Amino acid sequence: MKESASVHPCVARCCRTASLLFFLISTFSVHAQKFIGTRLEYLPEGYNLELLEVETVATSDQWVAFDQLVPNLGMGEGVEWMRLTLDPMTENGKLIEIQNAGIDDLTCFMVCDGKIIASYPGGVMNAPSEGHQFGTYPSFPVPLVECNKLHALFRMHSNKPMIIPLRISGPRKVLEDAHQRDVLFALYAGVMLVMLLYNLFLFMSIGDRSYLEYVLFIFAIGGTQLVLNGYAPIFGVDGWPWLNLRLTHLFGVFSGITTIVFVQNFLRLSRYVPWLNKLLNGYFILYLLALGLALIGRLEWSYQLINFCAAAIFFFIPGTIITMRKGYSPAKYFLLAFTVFILAVVVFVLKDTGVIPYNAWTFYALPMGSAIEVVVLSLALASRINQLKRETVNAREEQLRVSQLNEQMVREQNTVLEERVAKRTAALENANSSMKGTLVDLQSAQQQLVQSEKLASIGQLTAGIAHELNNPINFVASSAQSLRRDFEDLNQVIDGFKALDPSDPGFLAAVAELKETFGKLDIDFTQKEIEELLHGIEDGTKRTSEIVKGLRIFSRMDGDNFTTAQINELLESTLIVLRSNLKDQAVVEVNMGEGLPLLSCQPGRLNQVFMNIITNAAQSMEATGLAIEERIVEISSSLAESIGQSWIEVRIKDRGIGMSEAVKSQIFDPFFTTKSVGEGTGLGLSIVMGILSDHNAEVEVETEEGIGTEFIIRFPL
Amino acid sequence: MINVLYLDDELHNLTAFRAAFRRDFHVHVTTEPTEAVRILREQPIEVIISDQKMPTLSGVEFFELIMPDFPDPIRMLLTGHADIDAVIDAINKGQIYKYIAKPWNESELKEMVNEASMLFHEHKAVSSRGEVLLHKMQEARAMAMRIQRITDQASNLNAEETSEINRNAIEINRLLTE
Repeated sequence: MKESASVHPCVARCCRTASLLFFLISTFSVHAQKFIGTRLEYLPEGYNLELLEVETVATSDQWVAFDQLVPNLGMGEGVEWMRLTLDPMTENGKLIEIQNAGIDDLTCFMVCDGKIIASYPGGVMNAPSEGHQFGTYPSFPVPLVECNKLHALFRMHSNKPMIIPLRISGPRKVLEDAHQRDVLFALYAGVMLVMLLYNLFLFMSIGDRSYLEYVLFIFAIGGTQLVLNGYAPIFGVDGWPWLNLRLTHLFGVFSGITTIVFVQNFLRLSRYVPWLNKLLNGYFILYLLALGLALIGRLEWSYQLINFCAAAIFFFIPGTIITMRKGYSPAKYFLLAFTVFILAVVVFVLKDTGVIPYNAWTFYALPMGSAIEVVVLSLALASRINQLKRETVNAREEQLRVSQLNEQMVREQNTVLEERVAKRTAALENANSSMKGTLVDLQSAQQQLVQSEKLASIGQLTAGIAHELNNPINFVASSAQSLRRDFEDLNQVIDGFKALDPSDPGFLAAVAELKETFGKLDIDFTQKEIEELLHGIEDGTKRTSEIVKGLRIFSRMDGDNFTTAQINELLESTLIVLRSNLKDQAVVEVNMGEGLPLLSCQPGRLNQVFMNIITNAAQSMEATGLAIEERIVEISSSLAESIGQSWIEVRIKDRGIGMSEAVKSQIFDPFFTTKSVGEGTGLGLSIVMGILSDHNAEVEVETEEGIGTEFIIRFPL
Repeated sequence: MINVLYLDDELHNLTAFRAAFRRDFHVHVTTEPTEAVRILREQPIEVIISDQKMPTLSGVEFFELIMPDFPDPIRMLLTGHADIDAVIDAINKGQIYKYIAKPWNESELKEMVNEASMLFHEHKAVSSRGEVLLHKMQEARAMAMRIQRITDQASNLNAEETSEINRNAIEINRLLTE
């Protein structure tokens, strides 16, 4: 209800203005007057009125009297003549007044007994000269002459309807009426000006386009009324006859267009009544056509067209009702305003056609109607603005509500997000620290594993060497004991032999006894056995020293320093260490290249490499079902040249079960193993790879399932 | 003299063994398991000693192989170094009497072979007593079947016949208690 409060002062002001207007109109009794159209005469058709001389017209006897109090001579290019017979006795000194300011060209000739005694110009085209005209209407003084017959001849020409509300009155009366009219129109102009300025001010402060349209509308409507009632000079067009002639048309087009624009926007016709909107757009074209016609001088057609277009106002009523029905409340003011204006127009037209009397109310119907219209429309505009404001406020409130809702949602989500971020961060930190712990554990586990792999290979080495050494030690030790016994036997024979004395008479018997002992002890066999045992001891000693030598080479394992070594020696020492392990697993065929250069390497670690690969090769054949003679590990070394580089190439080939591509791609991965749990760490080959890459060596693995595997290792020289 | 068979892929071990024990035992040595089987078939071997680690088959495998045909000789396993798996297998599968580590102690080994031989003969005696018992049980079973037959005809027996049956029963009891 805030909106209506702001309307009230305006309503009150407008009402006061309107009531003042009514009061003024009621007090002026001026228009309780008589028009004397029936005293006027015209020349019927058939004369070439244009070319007639005044004298000829004056003496014509063809005059025909009008039968209307306010005759209408129509409009057009043609010149019309009209005669008023005056009573020289009673009417001299009075004024003839034609209450129509719209006649373009008008000349009044005073003819006394057929003689022209005076002529007065009048109408739009002739600026009223002082003393001849009071107010805005053309008026002509009846001369003070003595005549038998006194006539006033009017030659007229206009592009607007020549309606002739003519009266004869005393100059004082005419002057008073003119003044009263001036006052009324001044009031009218004042009202319009106030509304205009007020809305202009509103436009400038609010910036709503409707206000500007309304300002133009007020200007057009007010201007039209002023021009129609002879106040054109206030627009300063006196010196511009061309413009002066067309001023009514221009204002007509202007008010028509501004009305349509205002109505279209005010009623939001494009939204509520699209068909009417389109129709009114059509009227724009018609108005522009009328404007064009006016500009090229077809003023009569232009006037008719403008009048025709003005009927568009009748469409406003249904349009407004439809808009109102659609819930657009400002339309009700609009309906009121236009109803009033249309009534005024109807009254005005009815007055002109003589249906209703010509009095102050009917005379001022148009300006009054337009003034009321403007005031009511102003209210309508205020209501519309309020409506808009309300809509805007509602929209803003809705927007605010939505944005507050959004903000709340965002805030809630923010909180949730922050919580999540905090949780996640904590979880991450947790994970991070636990991962750090895991990393440390892993690193130490890795070290342990590498160490245990190393220990395992040392263990393998120890077991192998223990077994390798046990056999020779066993038979060397045992042989030594047996040899002692054999030598005891021999000694027995030798002692016997020493004791022989040919001079002794029992010599022959002693020899026979010795021979018997010889045979009993099977000395022949003993001798042969001694040979065998000695051979065994030699062989055992040789093998033991070989093992010790291999061990010495192999025992460089701990020395990770780079030194030069003969690759064949390394391979052989590895094989010695592995011999007992391999004995029941595979047959090793060795093909060592001759004259290989020394290789800068870590011998101990390379032994680990070879041991690992050879052991794998032997183990890979266990499941093949091959006889032990067919389980062959081929080991070769050679000098190779490729891509301008010399290499020592070591190949270790088996006839084992081979590997699939999937297995092959993983063999160097740590912890990858095909052995069952507990049998292998899965680290062997990954350590091999590490050692070989320390040697810049290249490793190639050729394998086929069911056929076997070959490791090709190339050491750059 | 005790008949001993020694199987080892290492020729020098065989030579040393024979040289060490030929004065005490009747020593048979070979590097080939097939040859060992042949010897078992032809000689009354009491004690078998086999090396565990051999190229074609292990000592335990060899014992498993010969057990069905030659269950009686006492088996002893000789090995280079302690291999717990080999020991477990030797006891469970090869049913060996002793486990000997290289290098062997000659006197200990000799003692072991003697003990093994004694064990062999005890087994032999036990099993021969068992055979006698088996024989007696077969006789008793035959007698019982005879009694059954006689009992079937007992419906019309006189006193004289009954007394003979009693005598037979006493005879059977005597036999069974033996």
